[in-house]
Amino acid sequence: MRDIFTIMQFTMKDMIQRKSFIISTIIILLFIIIGFNVPKIISSFSDDETFSQKLLITDNDNLFEGSLELLNNDNYNLTIENKNIDEVKEEIDKENYDGALVITKDDSIININYIVKEMSLFYEPPEDLINNINAIYISKEINKLGLTDEELQHIMPTFNFTAESISEDVNGNVFVMMIMSCVLFYAIYFCAYQVSSSITTEKTSKIIETLVTSTSPKNIVLGKTFGIGLVGLGQLILIVGTALICANICLSKELLNQVLDLSNITVTLGIITIIYFVLGYLVYALIYALTGSTVSKPEDIQSANGPVAIICIIGFYLSYFTMMNPNSELNVFASMLPISSPFCMPFRVMMGLSKPMDVIISLIILIITIFVIAKIAIKIYSNAILNYGTKLSIKDIIKMYKTK
Amino acid sequence: MSDKMSLVLENVSKSFVNKKAVDKISFKLDKPGVFGLLGTNGAGKTTTIRMILGIIKKDSGTITWNNEEVFREKVNFGYLPEERGIYPKIKVYNQLLYFAKLKGMSKENAIEEINFWANKLKVSEYLNMNAEKLSKGNQQKIQFMTAIIHDPELIVLDEPFSGLDPVNTEIIKNIIIDLVKKGKYIIMSAHQMATIEEFCTDILILNRGKTMIQGNLKEIKDSYPVNRVVIHVNEKINDIIDELKLKIENHKENEYVIKINNEDEAHKLLDKVMKKKIKVNKFEIMKPTLNDIFIEKVGE
Repeated sequence: MRDIFTIMQFTMKDMIQRKSFIISTIIILLFIIIGFNVPKIISSFSDDETFSQKLLITDNDNLFEGSLELLNNDNYNLTIENKNIDEVKEEIDKENYDGALVITKDDSIININYIVKEMSLFYEPPEDLINNINAIYISKEINKLGLTDEELQHIMPTFNFTAESISEDVNGNVFVMMIMSCVLFYAIYFCAYQVSSSITTEKTSKIIETLVTSTSPKNIVLGKTFGIGLVGLGQLILIVGTALICANICLSKELLNQVLDLSNITVTLGIITIIYFVLGYLVYALIYALTGSTVSKPEDIQSANGPVAIICIIGFYLSYFTMMNPNSELNVFASMLPISSPFCMPFRVMMGLSKPMDVIISLIILIITIFVIAKIAIKIYSNAILNYGTKLSIKDIIKMYKTK
Repeated sequence: MSDKMSLVLENVSKSFVNKKAVDKISFKLDKPGVFGLLGTNGAGKTTTIRMILGIIKKDSGTITWNNEEVFREKVNFGYLPEERGIYPKIKVYNQLLYFAKLKGMSKENAIEEINFWANKLKVSEYLNMNAEKLSKGNQQKIQFMTAIIHDPELIVLDEPFSGLDPVNTEIIKNIIIDLVKKGKYIIMSAHQMATIEEFCTDILILNRGKTMIQGNLKEIKDSYPVNRVVIHVNEKINDIIDELKLKIENHKENEYVIKINNEDEAHKLLDKVMKKKIKVNKFEIMKPTLNDIFIEKVGE
């Protein structure tokens, strides 16, 4: 036990002090901080004048009889002035205006000609403004009929449009759910991968011979796995914590409520997520410990770890895609299968779809899997670790497992 | 306690796929000293060492330390592997502390011993450097430290001098002599026969997993007949050597190393030289060296 702790401590210290670890963590944190501040940064570069579109409206035929002054929209900086078409084009060409709406009447048809220097995404026709112009014209014409307010109300009722989802709050958290699923996947995958690369490094640097005479293979595998796992967990908490703090500080309350239903983010969910991260990590880390011990050259790591990567990706996508339809049986299956449950179950819990008993069964399956894999991994590690030379085949590995 | 210790191997065998690596070897180490394990590359030395240390399991036979089956956890041993290894990107001090702790030392005791041995091995100035920045010889001294820092009873040194310059070789040699004086049991494998002759009282020569010869080094050498004579004279004696139909093994200025089959041949040579009134400065009838014995036993 003391040795496991010593190895764990040494592994953690080694990982934390690595430049690659420090730099990648800083880059991730910077991306998060910058990402959440992008709206603020953009607005600080562009003042209100330039941000709102500067438009010229001409009504040379006076079709609106001055009522265009009623147009009011924060997104536009409007100027209503009579100018002929050449003058309008000249103004736009000189970039005095971003665009112009030229209103003319041709028989009974009212034309609204939108003129810009260049068509681009920024200068697409201002639909909202055109609708407002339309409404002002209709209301001006109706007023001429001399109708009472009641009659007017009758002809033009106010439509109140609302949207409602029957399955409560599911949509509210889908976005966060997807992001969290990805974060968990990458955290588990990359931490577990570190175990493999750490074991192979010890083998290639030949330090392993000194190590296996200093403590048992079991202590090495477990100490290393726990050490890297704890650093990974710390990194995950740091990243998720930074993201939550940034979301709280940088995003408006309305936007935050739209993407995140905070009532579902409870301490219990946090604990369950951490438990699944730890157990999911253990499953993959121990498989990686096994594959790491079967190679002696760094260039063989990729090919030896390939099958594990495929299992991990299958597990992740199984849960990720079934999350789109969380009530499907496949999603329930994914929440029980040990290779996918760590990515799937925390979100079923968040959405209130899994009962406590489901969680307990899923955890038991996961824990049994870990014990089985640990037993196999330690056994193979013990036999394979002093095997230098070519990468071991699956046949060799099975033979090693069977040897006493 | 120390005079009761013993390491005993009896009929120990180990096979790998289609290959017998070690075949029924037996030896005993029952008093402090250095035991020499010799053999060509692939003779089974490292496999034997790994079985003694419990890193790999033997197929048959017994290995006991103080009459008890060897288990890694039970035996306080130190090991310098043939394959030198060190964490390249970790400070020397941190890795020494790590291994000392894994070998059951307290932090305080480990720090004390690190400083003591670093001073003795003249590596104190490198303790706070990453290991990769050290020369190969200094890295080897660091690894030697990890093998002895916890004051083990049984020390296994696989090629301890390979790659060391004469100054560092001398430092390690002196430490090994000190360790023997302290009553340590040391198993040493080496390719340099001179080193083995210098340190070892008992030896075992392995060839393709089999014991070729074993026992007390002096007794082994004594059991061999004389095989050469060294003579230093004032003038050339090639004609006398030719007359006696002897073969020159080595000839440098007026010193000749001549192969002989028995002592009589040497005396005949000396008689002839004396009769010609040639001044003899040195005359020595010699037994085969360990190198000769080794080549005879494992050579083609």
